[in-house]
Amino acid sequence: MAAGDQDALATLNQRYGRALSAVAARILHDEADAEEVAADVLWQLWRAASRFDRGRGSVGAWIMMTVRSRAIDRLRARKAREPRGNDPADQVSTDDPSNEIHSAEQRRKVEGALATLNDGERELLQLAYFSDLSQSEIAERTSIPLGTVKSRMRSGLIRLRDALQGSAR
Amino acid sequence: MDHAEIKDLMPLKALARLDGDEQRAVDEHLATGCEECEGELASFIETLAAMAVVESGGDAPSDRIWSRLQARLDEERPARRLEDRATRQPSRGRGLAILGSAAAAAVVAIVVSYALINSRLHSDTSETSNEITELTAKVIDIQRNVDTTGDQLAALQAKVAQTTDLTLASLGPDAHVVRLAGLAASPSATGTVALSPAQGTAMLEVSGLPPTPDDKEYEVWWIGAKQGPLRAGLFEPLSSGATIVSLDLPPPGEVVLASAITLEPRGGVEKPSGAMYLKGDFPRR
Repeated sequence: MAAGDQDALATLNQRYGRALSAVAARILHDEADAEEVAADVLWQLWRAASRFDRGRGSVGAWIMMTVRSRAIDRLRARKAREPRGNDPADQVSTDDPSNEIHSAEQRRKVEGALATLNDGERELLQLAYFSDLSQSEIAERTSIPLGTVKSRMRSGLIRLRDALQGSAR
Repeated sequence: MDHAEIKDLMPLKALARLDGDEQRAVDEHLATGCEECEGELASFIETLAAMAVVESGGDAPSDRIWSRLQARLDEERPARRLEDRATRQPSRGRGLAILGSAAAAAVVAIVVSYALINSRLHSDTSETSNEITELTAKVIDIQRNVDTTGDQLAALQAKVAQTTDLTLASLGPDAHVVRLAGLAASPSATGTVALSPAQGTAMLEVSGLPPTPDDKEYEVWWIGAKQGPLRAGLFEPLSSGATIVSLDLPPPGEVVLASAITLEPRGGVEKPSGAMYLKGDFPRR
């Protein structure tokens, strides 16, 4: 994929656009903002495509990391402008439609791996990934001691990775 | 912290949930090139990406995102044309060159017609010939003026485009604007690097650097936490005033610790080898 190739940008959008927007929407709770963040990330990837180092991880992982970081930055900027009480993290998302970044088979594998987590681990991973809360704030929100928050996040992510790697073998 | 303790922190690093001291320790360790920890981190990032997709779901139509991208493409086109003009035809704006040639051709046609009419009306061919010579000289002058104006305009347009990019890079939501300080080789030199991956822009403004020898030019570097020095661009300073240079962006995912300028053989080198003239550290975030 060469930077400047408009077809490549369209392909990136087809492949990742919906997933990026979904992750950003889960963080921002605002569709328009989420689409803007998704467009930002696709644009950046397209512009820097020729310099992307594949040895450093998959494109999918990189863009997911980037969209999360961008969405959290935007959330923080929005929080700074909005009066208190409008914290999107207080709202509950029930979105669960499909996306295109994974095949149905891959999606089943991930769901299977997520099912190996206990409720506490899964909830903590979700909070850590989709919110901009610090570890202390997560501990406060969940009424779990800080040390336990850290150890559950760690154990949950290791368990999830091992389950995914196990299902891939 | 030792290697094992750092490795234990990789899940929290992938979640971007490290405390300040932990973050620093992990970044410094990764900057040493520990492949085991890099691999561990990459595996957790991949895992989180997979989790994020399934946990977030969502079905935002990608055509709405495409219309946003399309708008950016449309915005970029004039700038890209300008950039092409500045890079492909550094001595003259292409459009102006065409305009200049067309104007000159029109004047030549008028001159020739005038000359022909003149030659029919007047039998004194030597007088006509003198007039043709005089008018042809005027045409050449006009052409020269058009060329000069075209050169000046193209240079101004390129400068405006560079300044716009510099401003965009400085104003990006993720912008880093870093001052470069002159080192022993050129203590009075100053520079500013503006980097905004979100805007897809990285620019350098530098002044006070000595002119380069014929076989050398200045090379700009990103000093990455993971990959060390990375090439960012080559330039020769203008003889007066500030020089503005468009830089290559650092690779996605790289954490830039600093930027530096060295004097290298013409065409540049893969890793810095010459004297360092300017350097500036990026703030830790």
